[in-house]
Amino acid sequence: MRFSIVKAIFQREMLDVARDRRALISMVAVPLIVFPLLISLMTRIIPRMQEKSEQDAKSASIAVRIATPSLRQALERSGLKLVEPEDLKGAVTGKSASAAVEETAGSPPAVHIYVDNSNQTSSATGDRIRELLTELKDREVREGLSASGINPRVLTPFTVTRSNIASDRKMSGAAWGSMLGYVLLLLMFQGGMYPVIDMTAGEKERKTMESLLASPVHRSEIALGKTLAATVAILATATLTLGSLVVSVKNGASQVRGAKSEEFQQVMGTIPLDAHTLVLLALTVLPMAIFAASVMFAIALFARSSKEAQTYLLPLMFVVIFPALLGGLPGLETTPALYLIPIFNASQIIHGVLLGDVSMVNYGITLAANLAYAGLAFFLATRMFQDERVLFRS
Amino acid sequence: MIQVDNLSKTFTDPKRGTHHAVDRVSFEVRTGEVFGLLGPNGAGKTTTLRMLATLLKPSSGTATLNGFDIVKEPGKVREQIGFLSGDMGLYGRLTPRESLQFFAQLNGMDSARASRRIGELLAMFDMNSFADVRGDKLSTGMKQKTAVARALLHDPPVLILDEPTSGLDVASGLAIEAAVLAAKKAGKCVLYSSHVMEEAEYLCDRIGVISNGKLTTIGTMEELRAATGKQRLREIFLDLLGLAA
Repeated sequence: MRFSIVKAIFQREMLDVARDRRALISMVAVPLIVFPLLISLMTRIIPRMQEKSEQDAKSASIAVRIATPSLRQALERSGLKLVEPEDLKGAVTGKSASAAVEETAGSPPAVHIYVDNSNQTSSATGDRIRELLTELKDREVREGLSASGINPRVLTPFTVTRSNIASDRKMSGAAWGSMLGYVLLLLMFQGGMYPVIDMTAGEKERKTMESLLASPVHRSEIALGKTLAATVAILATATLTLGSLVVSVKNGASQVRGAKSEEFQQVMGTIPLDAHTLVLLALTVLPMAIFAASVMFAIALFARSSKEAQTYLLPLMFVVIFPALLGGLPGLETTPALYLIPIFNASQIIHGVLLGDVSMVNYGITLAANLAYAGLAFFLATRMFQDERVLFRS
Repeated sequence: MIQVDNLSKTFTDPKRGTHHAVDRVSFEVRTGEVFGLLGPNGAGKTTTLRMLATLLKPSSGTATLNGFDIVKEPGKVREQIGFLSGDMGLYGRLTPRESLQFFAQLNGMDSARASRRIGELLAMFDMNSFADVRGDKLSTGMKQKTAVARALLHDPPVLILDEPTSGLDVASGLAIEAAVLAAKKAGKCVLYSSHVMEEAEYLCDRIGVISNGKLTTIGTMEELRAATGKQRLREIFLDLLGLAA
């Protein structure tokens, strides 16, 4: 194995990627432009839609069938417009009313609120009606107790408060950890797909593979040079996309409005990325990048064309999604043996690292296992590179 | 020198069954000789050349190129050869100069020697006008010249050239022919395959005709003329294949 040859092949592949417009679009333009644009639009449009629904809910029309005068007055005084159609539910589905309220006789009488939860305004109107009627109910209870000579304080024998003692770092780590591991691992496989296809099936299709094979280099040197280039491309894509996502979400968090917006902004506005965390993350991600590159390399090499390679690699995305997603779930009970499962283990570890709560035993198992898998995948890829039935498959 | 000894290659396809692409082919190419390997499409020429270039492993038999066995020492064989096949493309995102620099590195040439040699080849094949143009912008002829230059880059003792003038105009084809004759004069061993009969007749010292995987005839032009009673190689070729009118 000659380092100078591996370096020459690596450099050529990187130059090729740098000059490939399609690779630059998927690796650079999409992360740096599309994601921020998408998230910016979402964080501006969605809060505005929410605000509009809440505003509309304040003066919406509601269909009613109410006998009790106090109920009717409470609704009328709030600014809602009352209408009395024959078919209450029909009025909601037909959108002539945002919600409907029906009182059925009984002891006590029951009040039913009908909403269309697929419509934000209807849902917000239903929340407003519930709020008003709950206030009314509480007032009538207190008045009833007072009239009976009972102090309304009997309703509140003790107060209950809840405080979150988790640090800000831990809270943001929990929020980001459930998402970042999954996103990062998926991006590594998805972002690396195009460069890997181009280096393998693409070269076969363009007939440049043969000239490389006829040169006095070992097959293993070619495999290593290409795998290294693919690994770098994967890491670059993942880093750029992740960085762009993090910046976009942090900026977008400041646009969020509503009841829990401050808490949301505090959690999502910070991300725990001190030096120690970054080192642990890097050591977790690196073997996965090599594993991803080698596995995709071996699969794509088998294909006769880029299109065929894509067909073979797409199912791999589905294989990656499930363990990556599972690994990011909070509160999952695990045993050390589970940390032998690739992708799942990395997702779990990333979650734990960001949470600031990772077992070094599990970390060690993950690192060792993924290094072994990366080595095995690379070995398989190199073996395939030596098989003429794969290289000249037509 | 190339020594080919009962070289065979069999492909097995689940649908098509067994196909003997090359069937016990034996010949030799001497130092300072241009040996023409001619045959119709599907005769086994490219498969034979690929085996000699160590891209395919023979099913049986072997060959030695400058004393190195293609089965036992494929790496050493590849150091001895400059190989050009009809199925070899160029890197579209690299310029000819960059491609040649890359292959110079793969052939272990130091930068000074590489630079000198690239300059010589660019001049030889009149490539300076497009040496720094990306491969995907080049015409077929320009690409072919670059591919030939790549085969000659490291000045190998053995050249295996499969249709090197394909896609070239007359003037460019002449440059390739001149390079082949210069290689012969320099004592290199040249195994040459072409469909252009006039070119083969002009360049080759001896000719081997391959058909259905078998090497049916080997001889000089004089020997082939005597055997068939024909003058032109085109007529000799058709006669040997049983296709003469």
